[in-house]
Amino acid sequence: MQPLIDGLIFIVDDDASVREALAWLLRSRRLASEHYASAEAFELRLAEEAMPSQPHCLLLDVRMPGTSGLVLFDRLAERGLLEEMPVIFLTGHADVPTAVDAVKRGAFDFCEKPFSDNALVDRIEQALGLSLRAMELRQTRHLLRRRIAELTERERDVMRLVVEGLPNKLIADQLSISVRTVEVHRARVFDKMEVKSAVELANLLRTLD
Amino acid sequence: MPVPPVDPEVAARAARRQARSLALQRMLPTSVQQAFVLLRSVWQRWFLWLILALLVMGLLITVVWLAGRHEAEQVQTALDRDTADAASDLRAGLMRNQQALQALHAAGLDSERWANDVTPLMRGHREWLRLEWRDLQLRTRAVADTPYRMRVFDEEARNAEQVDVALACRLARQTGSAAYSPSHYVPRPENGGLEVMELCVPAGADGYLIATYALRDVLTELVTATLRRGQEVSLTEPDSTRLASVGTARRAGSRVFTSEQPVELTGAPMVLRVDGWRSAPDVFPNMLTGLVTAMSIALVSVLVLLARDTRRRLRAERELADSLAFRKAMEDSVVTGLRARDLQGRTTYVNPAFCEMVGFTAEELTRIDDEVPYWPTELAHEYQRRQTLRLAGGMPPREGFESVFMRRDGTRIPVLIFEAPLINAQGTQTGWMSAFIDVSEQRRIEEISRASQERLQASARLATVGEMASLLSHELTQPLAAIASYASGSLNLLHGSGGDLHSDREDIAMAVRRIAEQADRAGQVIRSVHDFVRRRDRTREAVSPQALVDAVLPLVRLQARKLGVRIDLALDEALPRVMCDRTLVEQVLLNLARNAMQAMDLPELRARVLVLRVRRSEAGAADGAQDARRWLEFSVADVGGGITPEVAAQLFTPFFTTRADGMGLGLSLCRTVVEQHGGVLLFEPNRPCGTVFRFTLPTA
Repeated sequence: MQPLIDGLIFIVDDDASVREALAWLLRSRRLASEHYASAEAFELRLAEEAMPSQPHCLLLDVRMPGTSGLVLFDRLAERGLLEEMPVIFLTGHADVPTAVDAVKRGAFDFCEKPFSDNALVDRIEQALGLSLRAMELRQTRHLLRRRIAELTERERDVMRLVVEGLPNKLIADQLSISVRTVEVHRARVFDKMEVKSAVELANLLRTLD
Repeated sequence: MPVPPVDPEVAARAARRQARSLALQRMLPTSVQQAFVLLRSVWQRWFLWLILALLVMGLLITVVWLAGRHEAEQVQTALDRDTADAASDLRAGLMRNQQALQALHAAGLDSERWANDVTPLMRGHREWLRLEWRDLQLRTRAVADTPYRMRVFDEEARNAEQVDVALACRLARQTGSAAYSPSHYVPRPENGGLEVMELCVPAGADGYLIATYALRDVLTELVTATLRRGQEVSLTEPDSTRLASVGTARRAGSRVFTSEQPVELTGAPMVLRVDGWRSAPDVFPNMLTGLVTAMSIALVSVLVLLARDTRRRLRAERELADSLAFRKAMEDSVVTGLRARDLQGRTTYVNPAFCEMVGFTAEELTRIDDEVPYWPTELAHEYQRRQTLRLAGGMPPREGFESVFMRRDGTRIPVLIFEAPLINAQGTQTGWMSAFIDVSEQRRIEEISRASQERLQASARLATVGEMASLLSHELTQPLAAIASYASGSLNLLHGSGGDLHSDREDIAMAVRRIAEQADRAGQVIRSVHDFVRRRDRTREAVSPQALVDAVLPLVRLQARKLGVRIDLALDEALPRVMCDRTLVEQVLLNLARNAMQAMDLPELRARVLVLRVRRSEAGAADGAQDARRWLEFSVADVGGGITPEVAAQLFTPFFTTRADGMGLGLSLCRTVVEQHGGVLLFEPNRPCGTVFRFTLPTA
């Protein structure tokens, strides 16, 4: 049974048996996991090692000694890590309102213990998919920024106006250059940005916002 | 009430009087009215006294006056008698002199013998100034003057008095007996003059014998000398003109008593007057008066004292009656039965409460009888022994003792008896006074109270468990979650297509072992709760402190793990066992530990440590008394936020809580439980932060 996505799942729970059981369950679905006994231990790992390159998500227990799950969640949100690392809260039934609140603040989901495990794993896979898309988006943006950086200043001006949908003649008027020159710049922008049309360019640039 | 018929006139008068008094009251200002009322009451109160004083005063004055008068009368009487005696002496004397002169005449008058006859006569009669013998023509034939005086008369002056002599002699001649002339004054150049009086005795043919009396000497010679002592004796004319007087001159400031007695002399009526005087009478002129006065004063004093005494007696009697009535009311109203026994064990007094308590009448109870009707027959022997002991002087316990009495209908009632010696006014013991309290109602209430206390404790225990439900569910979800995970994973592997079947099999075996472990863990959680909730027998038993701590530790640890609290145990070595109701004390420990952990559930608090300590304690009794028991002190210390004074003030108040889900029964129950064991529960700030709760339990 191959995993749909090659991902890594972080488990933070103070209860060892729960951690181990979850890891074991994930392994049965061919999913790799790392588990940590406390928020502090997980933060240490984030500080010491780079974020994994494959899609990943975090299973976080709400109630823990020391730093609680919610506090950790807030810290991660501050650091902007939530987009690529969706958080699924694990809660006892008493913590449900807390977890709902956390979802409103950007958590991917919460799961009430004891959980229907395969359903949880399904949600994990969805989270991993989300993570994957987030990572791809990040890579796209990265690529795009690099391409934009390669453009000259004049080409960037022309691109801005092209994306606004202005015809060449108007662009030429605004920039006080000839229509011919505009066409050259336009062709070079399309070339460097690896797009075929103005529409494609506009779509591409929108991913940056 | 029948109204007596009223005379219309009387009624009208009364109405008028009332109207007048009302009008008077209306006219007067309030203060004057009050003064008026006061005056009237004072008047009413002192009216009789005033009358008594006046009467006594009047009596006193009358007696003094009567006594004075009586005395004066006595004096007067004595004086009168003396005067009468003196007057008769005087008359007798004068008569003797007359006879002496008649005797001289009878002896025969002779000019030659005159001097011889007369001289001794003159010596014997000092009152005579001169003796003359005159013829019928009143010519002087012979004369003899008194030898005691210088010659009083010269012949010429004597002739001037011829009128008086003639008057007397004519009278004598007419009557044929001696006669006197009125007194007349004879002036003397050397020392005043003399009042003299002539006596003419007819001497037949010889003429007359005329004796001249000096009135003063008449008094001196013929009146008893004693009469002159302290008195003035005088001769006066009937018109009170004083002629001559002898005796003491009158003293100033003295009272004069006067007595007069006529001296009938032919031709010269005269009055013998005696003026006696006594010193002015005093207020208490004599013994009698003084005695009466003294006795009157004594009488009044005694009356006053008597009245006072009567008033005091009346007051004392009224107070006594009041206090008797008060005591009676008290004895009748108290629900406590009272019984007095004399030193022979006979019941001398019972109050209504006691009668009601045992169902016998007071007469039945005080009847002299060996059988005490309210002693249960089976216990009578023992009670008899107790009574004998008491009568022998054994002091009963101060706090009273319990006993059982029997009603008339045979039902038994538990009573609490307090006995005290009955001491009379002379300070000797006359018996025993016993107070009885029917404690059956109290017993019943205690029973109800205990039952409700138990119910409350049980419900509090349930409430505790309820509060712990979420904690427990969390605790249970952990193993359940793990079990579910292993189960799902195993299914995944079993249904999985790819992979190494052998390693999968090992994985599944491992998963199943884990499932078993986790199931066991869940079971333990449930057992720990069950052990706690299960109702044990409510008995005191000797329990080691370690056992108490161990019993609650699993539940405490459940929560501690959840809240990230470290638990430090500090039990001294070789602690003795404590005597306690195990269930309740465990509840106390659990409550305190849970409170402590909740106090540390603060986000900013990192180091959460709960210290559970058991050690020996010096003193632990609630009243601080040093008793023979030894104590262990259990303390639960947290490092949380501490307790604010406002919260501390009502910390032990039932249903006071700072938690939204709390019932507020925990600490109040804890204290009740500890105090039931004789210990104390108290709290104090922990250093450097937090709170320490301590309680003590007696060792076994």
